[in-house]
Amino acid sequence: MIGNVVPAVRAAVFIVIALVLCGVIFEIAGFSAPLMFESILEGAFLRRGALEQALRWGLPMFITALGVVISFRAGYFNIGGQGQFYMGAIAAAFVAEWLKGSPAALVIPACFIAGMTGGALWALWPGILRIKSGADEVITTLMGNFIASLVLVYVTAGPLKDPSGSGQQASSRPLDAAYRISNSIGLSPTIIVIAILTGVLVWTLLNRTSFGVLAGLAGRNPTMVEWQGARVWRIGLASFLISGALAGLAGTIEFMGPNGRLAGGFLPGHGFTAILIALVANLSVVGTAAAALFFGGLASAALFLPILAGLPSAAIDIINAAISLFITAKSGFIDRLANLGKGQWTKS
Amino acid sequence: MDEILIATLRSGTPLVYAALAGVIAQRAGIWHLGLEGLMIAGACATIIGIVVTQSVLVALIIAVAVCMLGSVLLWLVVEKLKANQIIAGLGLTGLGLGGTTLAVQSIFGTQAAVSAPFGLPKIGPAFGPFASLSVLALLMPVAVIVVWIMLRRTRFGLRLTASGEHPFAARSAGVNPSMMRLAALLIGGVLCALAGAELAAGSLNIFAQNMTAGRGFMGFAAAIFGAGHPIGASCAALFFAVVGALGIRAQIVFGDRVPHDLLLALPYIATVFGIWLSARLRGGTKALTGFGELRDQ
Repeated sequence: MIGNVVPAVRAAVFIVIALVLCGVIFEIAGFSAPLMFESILEGAFLRRGALEQALRWGLPMFITALGVVISFRAGYFNIGGQGQFYMGAIAAAFVAEWLKGSPAALVIPACFIAGMTGGALWALWPGILRIKSGADEVITTLMGNFIASLVLVYVTAGPLKDPSGSGQQASSRPLDAAYRISNSIGLSPTIIVIAILTGVLVWTLLNRTSFGVLAGLAGRNPTMVEWQGARVWRIGLASFLISGALAGLAGTIEFMGPNGRLAGGFLPGHGFTAILIALVANLSVVGTAAAALFFGGLASAALFLPILAGLPSAAIDIINAAISLFITAKSGFIDRLANLGKGQWTKS
Repeated sequence: MDEILIATLRSGTPLVYAALAGVIAQRAGIWHLGLEGLMIAGACATIIGIVVTQSVLVALIIAVAVCMLGSVLLWLVVEKLKANQIIAGLGLTGLGLGGTTLAVQSIFGTQAAVSAPFGLPKIGPAFGPFASLSVLALLMPVAVIVVWIMLRRTRFGLRLTASGEHPFAARSAGVNPSMMRLAALLIGGVLCALAGAELAAGSLNIFAQNMTAGRGFMGFAAAIFGAGHPIGASCAALFFAVVGALGIRAQIVFGDRVPHDLLLALPYIATVFGIWLSARLRGGTKALTGFGELRDQ
């Protein structure tokens, strides 16, 4: 437990620094910083139904963030969560269209399988390029995000286009109400159960199986793991696939639950926030759940701000960005401060 | 043919400037994923600057100042606070994307695109069909050569490269690698401001949200594809631009038979191809693994 104190204190301190930076930016941009933070706090955590909203936004991001945790622990920087999220949603949408008219008990599981496969396949090619050729996965997964969002625009304006939709933003035909797993408020027992189940499975995978232990070791020292006789490439590829599948699962949930249809460029910040959640949680599963709730609240405030407070929702993007700027920072001073209680001064 | 060449130069110029910034940062030992954010900040500052001050020169100075400020922020976080370069870079990019949206909203009260009455000066009719290109496009080869000479032939450039390749040796030779990185990021900031200015005020004279659309990341990829060499990186950047221009050309030629949005994806696919090819030819990029250590901080 003590081992978690230092990272937690450090994360808290740097989040405060990041918020101060945000305040400065808000003031420069001509908005009152105290008013902005007050509105965000209200929109995210204090208004009525805030917890539900935080869960609605946080649970899908929690699932994508778990994928980030797995790939980061294994030492691969899969930052293509956004693209894998889109691809999962697109695959689920195609299967839903294809199986239209079949009983829900068949369609819903088929969509979930398709969504996870779609996400996993979109993580597979950067994984192969990385492991077989050494192509930097940071760039390939980033480019994958841009390609996937163009594919999404193409799909919503082409094969799955809703002919009754307005010309403003292309969107797909809405999913049949019988197949929806939640209403448009977006929180339902199904989604909560899926999120809890995924969390438990990922926790078990990482903490109670040889894969999890080896992945954690491979992230720190691949050579050693290789010498121990484990095949690092398999662990790496598996971690890419699982992280993609989880992002695809989140995409499926967003498609079959709150959104009920695909729209070009929907939820653009999902993948980035998921990375942030994983990092704030210091790549722990339990921490990811807590952080997802926090960032879920912020995401719901992004809708609250422009409508009820008349403030731009870009404020939330700025807060997320500033936190990511500082979240991996280290400071010898804070480490010493946090270690004071233990009666020792360690070198940072 | 001329049309493709003009389209390539027009879309390639911002990429080349961004790639040069990426090369300089990479030489100094920083993986600069903030290029995207600095570029959009430069684009936004240029257009707002032109609208507010009615002067291109003042607008450029504002853009350069904003990008240098962003660079200093990245340097503080990466060098002084030892943050992970990739995450911090992505954070700077997010700050640029969000910050420009916020700035446009607060100044113009809307999130719609902002257009400026005029843009960068054009190179003029002396260049025949290329008359509509901006002066920054004309200066682009000069910038490439200046950066090349700086890195290869000047004491400063060699010290900068040494700080990235072997900071310990640089330190024993009396160089402060941290300061060299600050210098590299500041020069990169100026180049990103030019990249953004060219993107926004080169031909369309418009600023729209997220208008960089990954061009900064492509510039970073070009720096890797071009092996951290200014000329190689510029060629890589122009290659991405050619692919994009051909895609637009194909759209005109084939019309609706080829999906428009998928042709737009061509430059991104070319970037993936470039990264793959450079990994095949030169082996993988410097180990970016070891991020499991994020947990061990």
